Amino acid sequence: MKISKQRRQLLAIGGLAAFAAGYAETGGRMVGKLLGRDTPKHKTAGDAPAPEFSVGRQGELVINPAQQVSYTTCLGCTTMCGVRVRIDRASGKVLRVAGNPYSPLSTDPHLPMKASVRESFIAISALNGKGLEGRSTACGRGNAVAQQMDSPYRVLTPLKRVGPRNGGQWQPISFEQLVKEVVTGGNLFGEGVVEGLGSLRDLKTPVNADKPELGPRVNQVAVLSSVNDGRESFARRFFQKSYGTQNFFGHGSYCGGSYRSGSGALFGDHRAMPHGKPDFANAEFVLFVGTAPGQAGNPFKRQGALLAKARTQGKLSYVVVDPVLTHADNRASADRGRWLPIRPGTDGALAMAIIRWLFENERIDSRYLGFPNEVLAKQGGEPSFSNATHLVVVEPKHPREGRMLRASDLGVVIAEDLRYKEGDAFVCLDATGKPVFHDKAMGPAQLFVDTALVVGGQEVRVKSSLLLLREEAMRLELPAYAEACGIAADTLAALAKELSSHGKLASVIAHGGMMSGSGFYNAYALMSINTLLGNINWKGGFVANGGGFKFDGEGPRYNLDTFPGMVKPSGTPLGRNMPYEKTSEFAARKAEGKPYPAAAPWFPNAPGLTTELLPGGINGYPYHLKALILWSSNPLYGIAGLRTKIGKDLADPKRLPLIISVDPFINESNAYADYIVPDSLMYESWGWVAAWNGVPTKSMSARWPVIEPQAAKTPEGQAIGMETFFIALAKAMDLPGFGEDALRDTEGNAFPLNGPEDWYLRAGANIAWQGKEPVADATEEDVILSGVERLRPLLEKTLKPEEVAKVAFLLSRGGRYQPGKDAYDEENAAWMRNPMKFMSHLWNENVGASKNSLSGKRNRGCGSWIEPAFADGTPVRSIYPAEQWPMQLVSYKSALQNSYSIGATRLLGVHPENPVLIHPDDALRLNLAMGDLAEISTPGGSLKARIMIHAGIIPGVAAFEHGFGHRELGARAHRLGSHRQPEDKRLAAGVNLNDIGLMDPTRPDKAPWVDAISGASVRNGLPAKIRRM
Amino acid sequence: MNTTVEVLGFASDLGWQLWAVQYFFLIGISTAAFFLTLPGMVWRLPQWRGVSRRALLVALVCGLTAPVALLADLHQPGRFLNFYLHSSFGSWMAWGAYFIPLYLLGLLLYAWLSLRPSMAALAERGERLAGFYRTLAYGGHDNTGAIRAAAIVAALGAMLVLLYTGMETMVVRARPLWHTPLLPVLFAVTAFAGGLGMTGLFEAIAGKTRSASLLNRWLELSQWASLATLSAWTVWVLTGSSAAANGTLGAMRGSSGWLLMIAALFATTVLALWLSRTRRDALIAPALLALLGAWLVRWTIVLGGQSMPKMGSTSHAYFLSMTADNLLSIMGTAGLCLALYIALTSLVPWDDPAEA
Amino acid sequence: MNAQPDLSRRAFFMALPAVTAGLAVPARAAEPAGPHWAMLVDTRRCIACQACTIGCAMENASPEGQFRTVVATYAVTTEKGQTGLAVVPRLCNHCEQPPCIPVCPVGATFKRKDGIVVVDGERCVGCAYCVQACPYDARFINHRTGKADKCTFCSHRIEAGLLPACVETCVGGARIFGDINNPDSEISRQLKAAEGKTRVLKPEAGTTPRVFYIGLEEQLSGRVDGASAANMMWQPGHQGG
Ligand SMILES: Nc1nc2c(c(=O)[nH]1)N[C@H]1C(S)=C(S)[C@@H](COP(=O)(O)OP(=O)(O)OC[C@H]3O[C@@H](n4cnc5c(=O)[nH]c(N)nc54)[C@H](O)[C@@H]3O)O[C@H]1N2
Ligand SMILES: Nc1nc2c(c(=O)[nH]1)N[C@H]1C(S)=C(S)[C@@H](COP(=O)(O)OP(=O)(O)OC[C@H]3O[C@@H](n4cnc5c(=O)[nH]c(N)nc54)[C@H](O)[C@@H]3O)O[C@H]1N2
Ligand code: SF4
Ligand code: SF4
Ligand code: SF4
Ligand code: SF4
Ligand code: SF4
Ligand SMILES: [Mo]
Repeated sequence: MKISKQRRQLLAIGGLAAFAAGYAETGGRMVGKLLGRDTPKHKTAGDAPAPEFSVGRQGELVINPAQQVSYTTCLGCTTMCGVRVRIDRASGKVLRVAGNPYSPLSTDPHLPMKASVRESFIAISALNGKGLEGRSTACGRGNAVAQQMDSPYRVLTPLKRVGPRNGGQWQPISFEQLVKEVVTGGNLFGEGVVEGLGSLRDLKTPVNADKPELGPRVNQVAVLSSVNDGRESFARRFFQKSYGTQNFFGHGSYCGGSYRSGSGALFGDHRAMPHGKPDFANAEFVLFVGTAPGQAGNPFKRQGALLAKARTQGKLSYVVVDPVLTHADNRASADRGRWLPIRPGTDGALAMAIIRWLFENERIDSRYLGFPNEVLAKQGGEPSFSNATHLVVVEPKHPREGRMLRASDLGVVIAEDLRYKEGDAFVCLDATGKPVFHDKAMGPAQLFVDTALVVGGQEVRVKSSLLLLREEAMRLELPAYAEACGIAADTLAALAKELSSHGKLASVIAHGGMMSGSGFYNAYALMSINTLLGNINWKGGFVANGGGFKFDGEGPRYNLDTFPGMVKPSGTPLGRNMPYEKTSEFAARKAEGKPYPAAAPWFPNAPGLTTELLPGGINGYPYHLKALILWSSNPLYGIAGLRTKIGKDLADPKRLPLIISVDPFINESNAYADYIVPDSLMYESWGWVAAWNGVPTKSMSARWPVIEPQAAKTPEGQAIGMETFFIALAKAMDLPGFGEDALRDTEGNAFPLNGPEDWYLRAGANIAWQGKEPVADATEEDVILSGVERLRPLLEKTLKPEEVAKVAFLLSRGGRYQPGKDAYDEENAAWMRNPMKFMSHLWNENVGASKNSLSGKRNRGCGSWIEPAFADGTPVRSIYPAEQWPMQLVSYKSALQNSYSIGATRLLGVHPENPVLIHPDDALRLNLAMGDLAEISTPGGSLKARIMIHAGIIPGVAAFEHGFGHRELGARAHRLGSHRQPEDKRLAAGVNLNDIGLMDPTRPDKAPWVDAISGASVRNGLPAKIRRM
Repeated sequence: MNTTVEVLGFASDLGWQLWAVQYFFLIGISTAAFFLTLPGMVWRLPQWRGVSRRALLVALVCGLTAPVALLADLHQPGRFLNFYLHSSFGSWMAWGAYFIPLYLLGLLLYAWLSLRPSMAALAERGERLAGFYRTLAYGGHDNTGAIRAAAIVAALGAMLVLLYTGMETMVVRARPLWHTPLLPVLFAVTAFAGGLGMTGLFEAIAGKTRSASLLNRWLELSQWASLATLSAWTVWVLTGSSAAANGTLGAMRGSSGWLLMIAALFATTVLALWLSRTRRDALIAPALLALLGAWLVRWTIVLGGQSMPKMGSTSHAYFLSMTADNLLSIMGTAGLCLALYIALTSLVPWDDPAEA
Repeated sequence: MNAQPDLSRRAFFMALPAVTAGLAVPARAAEPAGPHWAMLVDTRRCIACQACTIGCAMENASPEGQFRTVVATYAVTTEKGQTGLAVVPRLCNHCEQPPCIPVCPVGATFKRKDGIVVVDGERCVGCAYCVQACPYDARFINHRTGKADKCTFCSHRIEAGLLPACVETCVGGARIFGDINNPDSEISRQLKAAEGKTRVLKPEAGTTPRVFYIGLEEQLSGRVDGASAANMMWQPGHQGG
């Protein structure tokens, strides 16, 4: 082989080039060494920043002045734990997040408020094992979301859409332009005139002159928020009390709506939907159904910690009923916790089987159930009572059928407008069989009553609530229930026996697993078991949340509730959570002789429904939506089937003329917005937030800007955010309740509401002064050690002199927390101090007297087993039979992710996607192997997913871990002006079950499937088929 | 037995990258090629003269590239001086830091001494670089005593290099695939196959096909030896005769990737063996196969060995899936070899002077 | 603010001894035996939340995707067909006979008197030999520094009288850290109480680990025969499965 010289040189150069390419990185590293770039921060501790402080042998605290440690609140999920944020002062970067030792959401037992900040630092140190005992934690997500603060996907200036909706192109605009445009409207996008919020605030003109019950035109503006993050009352003050719309909804209907409604039915309040939790610390047995402590659940972290503690140190054993194996399970503590697989949506069968067994074996707490009122119950040693003995009208066709028999029915004279309300007593039979009013009863009433009483001169059949529940439970035999839910009859009986073998120290709890097509009744039935066990408000039983410290009412320092010119919103809510029978539509159609079905279902026993608001509002039933405000809300990602139903419509400004979002990120929903207003993120926000549940003592976490908010500033120099935006809107529209003199103290002195601090600091004063005496003053040291120092000028400027140190006391400790020992009643240590105040309704007359607005059929007023069904009551399987749709889909919360944490990429390093879980038996049948790609289809659509196989799931079910399958939040790079966001494919990993949610074929409006009573999104038990790709 | 699925598992990246494979491959070839120089250049066996000279070129090209690859496998290459400032002789790798220069210095000296006469001849011819050659030839004596002495130094170095590369890998108990006394043998034997292969390849490039039968005879031997050690190693690894082997067996069982890999190893070896036996005059094909075999052995053992989980069930999904980074390291070393080859062949006459 | 008027803000700040320079915290007074640090992981209390994993990464500024501690999580099915969850929190065992140390060619990794095995980042050449030698996959080459990295038992925090980050933030309270030379320490007490029932990872490796486990299943204490979901998951940079 002869090669020319030139060729040789060329070859040599090529060789050297290849070498250089291969060696570039190495070379770089070598140069790095020469430049000294590889010298570690510390010889052996690597790049770890210096500790925030040190604690000496004698407990001497030496702080590191380069860092700030502050107690505020995490928003890595809706648990909103009190956390300790460690900040590098020079860069403003959050270095790490851990727990706030004062907060019961992060610490058990939590530190008393009187401990100084210095003591709180020592309490988490290694000194004498203190920090092990008083461990104060942040979960994996709570640690990782600190990353989001510096996310390249944050919205930091107001954005205005460029091009079509959801086009991913935005123009940053000034705050003034934003406010002007959204208030006055006009031809904002060259697509025709858009009506602004100014003229939409019409409190007089009815939406529809023919249907005055719909209310004024202002109702055509709707606000969707997420969870109350401690700022909701501010937003409500603006949009409800000042602007005046009726339509302000949270995410309840697609969070745990069915569970909450079922619990609300038991406790007789379908709006506030009170609910309890097991007292983990003292319980002996807990049945978790469709909720997984340690994996999700609210409070996620506290429940996980308590569960771990209780199963090793306490007496707790438990069973988790779930189609999927969860992190509540732990083989190392095998006999303490067991997983019991169940078919999706069949929890009512499980519950009613247990109830039947309790009745049959006389294991219900009859003594407790016999007390017809609170006084008798307390005297009898019971911290709660129920309507077990109260009588229900069961006379067919009677106008009060399904309702509780009332004193007025038996002839007691009560003013018409007070009739059938609180003062109108219930009726029961006393021991001798005589009817007595429940509040007048002198002793226990009869439990099982089936009799006729004379009502209005006519014999009317009545039964006691308890009897109705028993009859309902006896409808099926245990084997039939077993057949339905896939749990053996023996097991059902054993569960019932176990539940009734611990006195008051056993309970049943549910949550997200209730989001099925029978969710409401499943939850109602499950929660009713607690009443039958008589465990409510007992230490170790089923206990109420301690709640927070109210700040937004007419408080001890300031009135943050009412103001002159305040509006009381009126009219029909867009979620149609009221009786269809009260509408003029019903009257008209009744006159035509065909009152049912309604054009879309109505939900008289539900709270505000986001699930229904959008499909209804866009399609104009009961009326059209003109403007939508999305405040930290992402219904398109969170509601099964919603995107399929309204995605196209949302993109069309003619269908919904104005969409404004207030959010720190661009999510799947506000990608459709016309304007996005940046909002504060986590540690930048103000707020006062109570624990959602599961903390028996009062708890109010403070949110305060422990770091400077990053968003652009208003012309007044305040960071743009929800508060400053709403204040500016109020001022631009000249609305009451904001600006100079908007707030009043108790003496009537006026104070301004010009910025968030005006509100939240005064709210803090209200909190500080709650209770018998105000909290102590913060010391100088507290203020400095906690970083509150930074805000001192603001405190001094805003608050009265005597308030400054008290509010600083709360901020320095990250909130106000009742001492842990106060969980239990002062007089009776076996009772809870902050009790569930509501009577248990084993029969709920509002449900029992309501009718299905599509079929006109009466709803059952007690817990029941009803097969998952569509809105008109048609069983799902009769439309989508198993032969065609052999699988059922469920979703479960990720132990790591939350719905919006995907941008915290450290979490993805641990767990990069969410393969769909199926059982090995199904895998065999479907010819699927671990990691295969499969097409998963429901009648609502199909998607491509990777498959994971193990036996931690019931056969026939495929499970989706929620939190992946994002299209936004960084999964797509948007263009903001000339800046293009970075591409990060990782954030688009995985799949979202909600993309293939079902439309309800029995609904005339073909909207996404919701539970017929609660109106809650259905995402568990979707009929499906899976095919290997 | 309980069955397990690791729902959340973790595997760390490979500590030794493809650069390490390249290093093991090239240094092995270099040392083997060095030994091939002995019959022709030290013992002056006539039929070896040409081949041995070519082998010296191979030893130099690969020997000079190898440490460069090794340096690249260090994640802190700029700190290689620490090997000498802080030698910790409990570690085979620390010894390596001395053996490699020993070998290379010996080799360079040996090469220079051996090439001096040719350089002197070049200087005589009075070409452009005559002055340069004259200086380099430094008299141009064919000093057999000195050559012999240098050969001893280089041979010692080569043996130590072979020893340490094998031992360094073998002593790692935590890697069952490595932790077998057969490993140094396997490395050495396949290094010889590689050395023969590379020499054959160089001969082919230089258009000298006459050495084919000689090389193939040796290649056949080396392939037999490779086959034997490979079989022994496979049996060792797969039979479960020791605790470590048990672990390996478990990790490999049911892994189609592994079975494929081992099959490929055997196939290449057997094919090279067959070709070298049946086609004595073929140069390129058996040479390439021998090289591939030597490379595959290192690739499988060094990288495959690391991909096996030490803890849990999650392996590092590396082998059989080369990404650009890794290809670059092959390209990089190949490029450097090429450049060195061209430089050396441009500067130094390699063909047997007797034939030239 | 009227409390403690004598403590002016400025004066207060001035009075704070700086600990910014390095991590230098005065060495402890010499003690008869000195502490010997160890960890006890009570897997019964672990909820596989990975708070430790991420907390450690934040504390030690680990590059994304590289971990000094992880919590491997298993779905285990028994012969009877019962499936349950099992966890194995892992970190460096700070072995008494650490195979990672003798292999280091430059003596960059060593065991301190208090039992902690560390890497001298000023000496390490990033040869990864120790990574190979550790039987527990506890070491890795840090992508950013190019040096061997591993759990340090958060020596910088311990020296400051604090707890390791993973221990501080362990939601289930599964991680107990302390001095096994001190019989009164929590870890000593718990080890004593669990005597005979604790395990270590891969005892056959003969490394004498100083991380102990309660409730660790033997089958999961080393390499685990079984499928891995992580193996087939999407990873940035390569598409597995
Ligand atoms: N398939 C399926 N669907 C589900 C669930 C499920 O388990 N499976 N879970 C359901 C449940 S329980 C819920 S609660 C809903 C949740 O659904 P939503 O309440 O609608 O919304 P999220 O996605 O939680 O978050 C809303 C927005 O809050 C913003 N945000 C994040 N942090 C901050 C902050 O610090 N400040 C401000 N101002 N905004 C912030 C984010 O940008 C995000 O856009 O989803 C439900 N959907
Ligand atoms: N880690 C983590 N924690 C969280 C959150 C998070 O995103 N991540 N989000 C917070 C929020 S907003 C909420 S609302 C809570 C929710 O907390 P949970 O209610 O505890 O959680 P979910 O995952 O929604 O539902 C619980 C379980 O229901 C199961 N399930 C599904 N279908 C059925 C069924 O038909 N029957 C039964 N019995 N079970 C079924 C699922 O497999 C799942 O394990 O968690 C909060 N905590
Ligand atoms: S549970 Fe939720 S709120 Fe609490 S630390 Fe974790 S992510 Fe943050
Ligand atoms: S666990 Fe590994 S890195 Fe840690 S001391 Fe033991 S051998 Fe060394
Ligand atoms: S990577 Fe560093 S610590 Fe590890 S063996 Fe090499 S030089 Fe030593
Ligand atoms: S002790 Fe420190 S370095 Fe070690 S795993 Fe825990 S947090 Fe990480
Ligand atoms: S933080 Fe504690 S409970 Fe959570 S995974 Fe780690 S060891 Fe387990
Ligand atoms: Mo939720």
